[in-house]
Amino acid sequence: MKKQAVVAGAGNESISKEEIAAYLVKQLRKKGADDVVVSAGTEEAVQLKFSNSTISTTQSWHSEKLNIFMAVDRKLVGTSIRSLEKRAVDDAIAKMLKFAAAAVPNKEYLGIAEGPFSYKEIPETYDKAIAGLGDKAVDILNGAINIARKNGAGRTAGVFETTVSNVYLLTSNGVEAEDKGTKAYFSVRAFVDKYASGHHICNSRVLRKFTPEASAEKAATIARQAVNPKPGVPGNYDVIFSPLPFANLLESIGKAASIFNVESKLSCFAGKLGKNVGSTEVTLVDDGSLPNGFDSVKCDEEGVPTQKNVIIDKGILKTYLHNTSTARRHKTKTTANAGIVSPNPFNLVFEKGNFNKEEMLRQVKRGLIVTNVWYTRFQNYESGDFSTIPRDGMFLVENGRVTGPVKELRISDNLVRILKNVAAVGDEPEPVFGWEVEVPTITPAVLVKGVRLTKSVE
Amino acid sequence: MSAKSVAKSALPKDSLELDLATFAVDYARKIGASYADARLESTAVNGFVLKNGVPQVSGFDIVQGIGIRIVMNNTLGFASTNNISREKVREAVEKAAKLTSAASRIGEKVKLSGAEAQVASYEVKQKVKLADLTPKDKLKVLFDAEKAMKATKVNVTGRFFSMSDFYTEKYFASSEGSRVLSRIPRTDFWYFVTVEEAGRTAQRYWQYGAAGGFEKITGSDFPGLLAAEVKATCNNIKKAVAAPKEKVDLVVAPQITGIMVHESVGHPYEADRVLGREAAQAGESFISAKMLGTRIGSPAVNIVDDPTVPGSFGYYLYDDEGVKARERWLIKEGIITELLHNRETAAILGTESNAASRATGYDREPIVRMANSIVKPGDYSEEELIESVKSGVFLRNFMEWNIDDKRLNAKYTGAEAYMIRNGRLAEPVWRPTIEISTPKLWSSVDAAAGNMEYHAGTCGKAEPMQAIPVWFGGPSMRIRNIRLSF
Repeated sequence: MKKQAVVAGAGNESISKEEIAAYLVKQLRKKGADDVVVSAGTEEAVQLKFSNSTISTTQSWHSEKLNIFMAVDRKLVGTSIRSLEKRAVDDAIAKMLKFAAAAVPNKEYLGIAEGPFSYKEIPETYDKAIAGLGDKAVDILNGAINIARKNGAGRTAGVFETTVSNVYLLTSNGVEAEDKGTKAYFSVRAFVDKYASGHHICNSRVLRKFTPEASAEKAATIARQAVNPKPGVPGNYDVIFSPLPFANLLESIGKAASIFNVESKLSCFAGKLGKNVGSTEVTLVDDGSLPNGFDSVKCDEEGVPTQKNVIIDKGILKTYLHNTSTARRHKTKTTANAGIVSPNPFNLVFEKGNFNKEEMLRQVKRGLIVTNVWYTRFQNYESGDFSTIPRDGMFLVENGRVTGPVKELRISDNLVRILKNVAAVGDEPEPVFGWEVEVPTITPAVLVKGVRLTKSVE
Repeated sequence: MSAKSVAKSALPKDSLELDLATFAVDYARKIGASYADARLESTAVNGFVLKNGVPQVSGFDIVQGIGIRIVMNNTLGFASTNNISREKVREAVEKAAKLTSAASRIGEKVKLSGAEAQVASYEVKQKVKLADLTPKDKLKVLFDAEKAMKATKVNVTGRFFSMSDFYTEKYFASSEGSRVLSRIPRTDFWYFVTVEEAGRTAQRYWQYGAAGGFEKITGSDFPGLLAAEVKATCNNIKKAVAAPKEKVDLVVAPQITGIMVHESVGHPYEADRVLGREAAQAGESFISAKMLGTRIGSPAVNIVDDPTVPGSFGYYLYDDEGVKARERWLIKEGIITELLHNRETAAILGTESNAASRATGYDREPIVRMANSIVKPGDYSEEELIESVKSGVFLRNFMEWNIDDKRLNAKYTGAEAYMIRNGRLAEPVWRPTIEISTPKLWSSVDAAAGNMEYHAGTCGKAEPMQAIPVWFGGPSMRIRNIRLSF
C-alpha cells in the first residue's frame, strides 16, 4: 500500500500513518494485547450556513485522528490521538496499558474479525469535483437560494456542506484497508411567512447527482402551499409521510435493529426475529456497500467488507445488526455492521412500491400529508410508544384531494403499529440525511393507515 | 489581571501553547480580517459504560485544537483544526479568509455589539481530583448502581449506566484585547432503566451533571436514587389508574419544572432563533423582540438563566466571545424582560450581549445558548401546594417530552405520578400527559414552592450538532385547571 507522509513534527522523522498503525499494533500485541484495531483518518469539511437568504457564516474544519481499540484479557480500552509523532504514540500505548490494568473484564467480548479480506471499490463514493469545489460552493448555494426565491420563498435557511475524507485501517487479525470519500449535503428550509414553511434535503457522494436547486424548488413549493394553515383537529388519520418524515421514523427502526440496542432495551424488536413486525409492504434493508450511499464504506470498523442486509422482508424481521463479537455470542454471522461496541446501520433503504403521488392520494378518504417531523421522543423504546411533531407544511386530505394546510398537531403513536399499518408505498425514493435523520436513509413517500394525532388542550 | 499574567499562569506541562491563539488572531488581522478571535482548547475525557452488569469499552481521550472566528468583508467565518502546529493554524486562517471573502457577496453584514475587553483567569477547584482516580474507582460508581438494582428485588430487565468526566482548559483571545483562561472539570452520570412487572414494562432515564471533581459523583447517592426510582416505577406499573379526564389542578416537581423552563422559556428566548439564524435546524421562536415588556405568565412566574451558579453543569464566568457572564432575567413576575444574546444578535436588536455565546468545543462556532435555566423559588412548600389541591395530579418526573420548533406547543408525559385527593397523595397514575401551549402553561402557574432542585441536561442545537451541558430546574409548581391529554 502506498505510504503517505502525514506529519513531519519538529524533531521527529516523517511518519506515515501506515507505519504508525503498524507500530501501534506491534507494540500493543508485544505488551499483551489480544486484539488491536487502529484506524487513521483525516477529514476536510466546508460548510456555508445560511439564513434569511444570506450566508450567516462560513465554516471549515480540518481534523487528523488516530483511533485505537485494544482488548487485553477481555478488558476493552479505546482512545484516540491527534499527534502522529512517535512520542505521542508511545505515551498513548503506556496510558492504554495502565488504563487496562485497572479496568474490569467484559465477559461477553468474543474478539474481532479474522482477516485478511479483499475489498471492492464501491461505485460513486469519491468525486474529485467535490474535493476541488472550493469557492464554487458559493455560486451553487446562490443558485439554489435564487430558485427558492423565484418559487415564492420570502426567505430561506439551511446549510451546504462538503466533506473529503480518508481512512486507513489495520488490525492485529490481518486486516488492512484504505478508503476515501467525498460528500455533498444540502438542507434548505423555505419560508413564505413565519408559519408557512417547507423543507427539503439532498445529498450525494458525487456532484453530478447532487440537486440543490431541485430541493430549493420543492421546499419553496411546500411553503407556498402551506400559507394560512388552520388549526388541526385531533383524531385518527391516514397519513402520507413524505420521504423526510418517514426517514425520521425509519432511523429509529434501523437503530432498533442493532443487537446492542436490543440488549439495552432500547429496541422494539426484542424477541421478534422471524416474526411479523410490519405489513407486507414493509421491506427495509441496510446496505453499507450501496453505490452513492451517503455512509457507504468498504468495510466496517473491524475490517469486514460491508454488505447488504435485509432487516425486514415483507413485514418479517429477518436479522439484527451484528459485529463479530456479538454474532459469536448469538451464534450467528456478523452482518458487517461494527461499531466494535455497538453495531450500527450505514444506509437504510426502504423498498419502493408502485404508487405514484396521485394514486396514493386517491387511497385517502380522511387524512394528512406530513412533509416533515421533528423532536421524536419515546415513552418506551421497548414497546415503541413515541410522539413526534409535524413541522413545515402539513395538509388535510379529504376524499383523495388536498383541501388545505393545517397546523399544531402531534403524532402520538407506536412504531410497530405504524409499520403494521403501512398500506401503500410510493415509487419515487429520495435520499434523506440531515439534522433530524443522522443515519442516511432512502425512502419514498409512505401511506400509513389510522395514525393517532393529538394537540394541546384549550 | 493583565494579559501577560494570564499567559504566565502557565497551564500544565504538555498542555496548550497559549501564544498560538494570539498568533491566529494576529495573522487573521494581518490578512484582512476586521475582527478575529480564537479559542484554544484541550479537554481530557474519561468514559465508562455498564450494560446489564457488563462493562463495555472504557475510554480516555484528549480532545485538543483551535477554533478561529473572523469577520472578513463584514461576513462571519469560522475555521478549526486539531493539528495545532503554526503551519496548520495559518492554513486554517487562510482557508477561512478565502472562503469568507468569496461568501461575502451574499453574506449577512455582521456587526458585533460593543463589549469591554476582558483579561481574566479562573478555574473550578476539585476536592477530589479526577486525574487521581483509576478506571476501577470510576467503574465502581456504576457497579454500585448495579448492586442497588439487584438489592431492590424489582425486575429491572434493562440497566444501562454511564459515567464520564471532562477537564477542559480553554484560552480565548480576541483582536480587541480579551484574554481569558479557564479550567473547568465536569462529571456526568447517566442511567436508563427498564422495569418489567406482570408483562408490562416502563422505562426511565435521567442525568446528573455538575462542574467540579469526583466529589460531585461520590456526594450524590446514585444507588439510593436509582433504587427509589425502580421501586416507584414498579409500583406505578402495578397500581396506576388512568389519568382523570376532567380539568384538574397539577403539582409538578422540580424535574418537570426544569424541562418546562428549558424548552418553553430558555429556547424561545434565544435571540438567534428569534432572528431566524437557526431556522433550518433547531427552529425559530414564537417570541419576537416586540414582546419584551409584555405578559407571558402569571405574577408567580420568575425565570432566570444564570451561568455563574457555582458547581453548575452549565458554569462559566466568561462566554466564548469573552463577555463577562451574569444572571439573565427572562421573565419577571410574568413579564418578558430579556432575551439571551451574543454580540451578533445584540447588535441587531440594539442592545448589549449578556454573555450567552457558547460552543461545545474548539471545532464549533459559538452560538446563543442557555447555561442554567431555573424558575425562582416561591413562598410555599411542596406539601402546602399539594394540600391546596382538592382533586388533581402530582407529577414527580417524566419520560417522553417534545415541543414544536417555535416552542409554542409542548408535551410532557409523566412517569412517576400520583392522584391528589383532598390535599393528599393517593394512588399512582399511568402516564398523565400535559399537552399545552406555552402561554397557557405559564399563565396557569399560580404558585411556586421553595424546594429548589437543579438537574442536568445535554442540550442540542446547531448544525453540526452542538450538545452542550446545562442545568435546568426550579421548585415544585402548582398549575391550575388543566385538562390532561390522552
